[in-house]
Amino acid sequence: MRKILIALFLSMSILAAQLPAKEFKVGCAVALTGKFGKAGSLVKDAYTYWAEKVNSNGGIEVNGKRYKVKLIFYDDKSDPSTGAKMIDRLINRDRVDLLLGGFGSSQVFAESAVAEKYGYPLISGAASSNKLFERGFKFYFSTLGKATEEVKGCVYAFASLKNKPKTAAIVGADILFTSLACEGFKKYCKKTGIKVVHYELFPMRLQDYNSLLMKVKAKNPDVLFVGSHLLVAMRVIKALKEINFSPKGVAFSYGPTVPKFIQDLKQDAEYVVAASEWTPNLPYKGKVFGSAKNFANGYYKKYGRMPDYVEAASAGGAVALQMAVEALGITPKVSDKDRAKIAKWLHEHEINTFYGKIKFDKDGANIAHPALAVQIQNGKIKTVYPENVKDADLIYPFKPWKER
Amino acid sequence: MEIFIQALVNGILIGGVYAAYSAGFSLIFGVMDVINLAHGELLMLGAFTSYWMFTLSHVDPYFSIPVAGVLLFIFGYLIQKFLINRVIEKPAIMSYILTFGLHLIITNCAVKFWTHDFRTITTSYSGANFNLFGITIPLTRFTTFILAFLIIGFLFYLLEKTDLGRAIKATSQNKKVAQLLGVDVKKIYALTFAIGAAITGIAGASISPFVVLFPEMGLNYTIIAFCVVVLGGMGYIPGALIGGIILGVIQALTVTYLNAGISVAITFILLYILLIFKPTGILGKGN
Repeated sequence: MRKILIALFLSMSILAAQLPAKEFKVGCAVALTGKFGKAGSLVKDAYTYWAEKVNSNGGIEVNGKRYKVKLIFYDDKSDPSTGAKMIDRLINRDRVDLLLGGFGSSQVFAESAVAEKYGYPLISGAASSNKLFERGFKFYFSTLGKATEEVKGCVYAFASLKNKPKTAAIVGADILFTSLACEGFKKYCKKTGIKVVHYELFPMRLQDYNSLLMKVKAKNPDVLFVGSHLLVAMRVIKALKEINFSPKGVAFSYGPTVPKFIQDLKQDAEYVVAASEWTPNLPYKGKVFGSAKNFANGYYKKYGRMPDYVEAASAGGAVALQMAVEALGITPKVSDKDRAKIAKWLHEHEINTFYGKIKFDKDGANIAHPALAVQIQNGKIKTVYPENVKDADLIYPFKPWKER
Repeated sequence: MEIFIQALVNGILIGGVYAAYSAGFSLIFGVMDVINLAHGELLMLGAFTSYWMFTLSHVDPYFSIPVAGVLLFIFGYLIQKFLINRVIEKPAIMSYILTFGLHLIITNCAVKFWTHDFRTITTSYSGANFNLFGITIPLTRFTTFILAFLIIGFLFYLLEKTDLGRAIKATSQNKKVAQLLGVDVKKIYALTFAIGAAITGIAGASISPFVVLFPEMGLNYTIIAFCVVVLGGMGYIPGALIGGIILGVIQALTVTYLNAGISVAITFILLYILLIFKPTGILGKGN
């Protein structure tokens, strides 16, 4: 009996060794600690959700066979050089088949450079600084638009009003993404004839938001545009109220769509406008998740919160990668040649997903995606721009603090 | 002119906030020569105490101030007794390493339990302000400013007028002699650290209504406390108030008249100049 068991065990282990790999190893370096730790963990959640969805159907289907997805995450600690090291480790030590992008322009900038060197396609859904697209990379893709274009919807939401604002102030944190958002605000203010009366970038470490905004208040702009991440957005709202500064409109490049913004700021979050690329009520559909609504509902079931657009963009990127693999009939282990094919395919095809149409430009930016503006109304996020997808009218001017 | 006065007021108020959370740092340094690199974490814990009491049981942040004080007192006492007392006789670098380790441990435990979420407390009086001769004064900041005076007044009284204070001062001046006179030095250290932690926790709870909280917020506060205490004089308690207000006013004026971008740089340039020319602080009373 024992001999038979040993023989069985041995033959099984030989069999196992001979079988080709049954799963796609997909690596990702993303901020899980540090200043982008929270935002980065959203990206991780999005990929995890995607992988679970795919695996619950048996895996990625290639030529009738299914291969599961195994995700490997490393923490880049919100630090670009750590991120680059982690991608190197994923490629050379863990020998992953594919990569997915992390969070934040500075980190992804460094990480994608390593991926490019080894010919790994990297689709990011949470980095959009223009610089990322100006390097002539062939393996870098982004499901988001460029940072300067992302905020277009915000400006147009105000500019297309009948009683449109005449003046605006623009402030923002002096890091890559948010400073570009400020440039975008400026660019579109100029285009729409809104006069910029104040423009200033400040360091992330700034303690005294009150003095900064007091200075802006003295110039009395109709609208305040802020290049922000969540932390900056929250601090700005707190300061605006403290110094009793009520512009007729306030818009952020990022932050208010993260659920914590409404949860903790409560009534103070009311009326705030934010740039967005995706909301669950858009009429988008595609493979894997079905409609935008389906994606959001499933997400809610798993995490108890609605996904924000960065999460959708990240999962959308993962779906695009999956589509390429399926279309090309690539199986693990994925070779360098396969990866080059994937990059080529991604450049050439238009992909329909729950996240909307994805069409990568030569520089890797997604050009099929319109920039949206959303507004917080009665504690809910409503799409207010563009006209054809909006589900509420922009409330303007905002009620002053003292009358709320 | 109105803008100038407003900037001045902003600076003084933020200076009071700086002073409130730097006093404990100064106390601990003055008595034990320990630069507590986990100082910001004590503040963070105080602020989170107030956040959780508010979120879970709707306790007003101002009512959680004493709770934060008591919890941080106990926490500080235990840390000193079981950890820092072990390295206090060793070269200063050991206490840096230990407190830096504490900073990492506390921050990462907080991340583990409370996640990276940015949090904030919004009460009915959040952002409330009053107008004085055309100058806007935010209520919650003003309260913390007053609290800073109370904290520093309390410390001053404690050190100058009580037996415990005399024992603390004796220990900080000459440990050996204090020991000969029957002072239990280790206990004094533990009590000092506990008091330092408690007032920092109190400051943390009192700033919670107007700042954004997250587990990693501490380090920035430690850096500012360091600047404030160097400005005012290391170990000289009222110096925290002077250093805080000077720093706050300089920052506010820089933001208002020059550029927000260089306000942070100015802080460090100031620190640098002071460390070279007047390492005992502006009043020259530090050590």
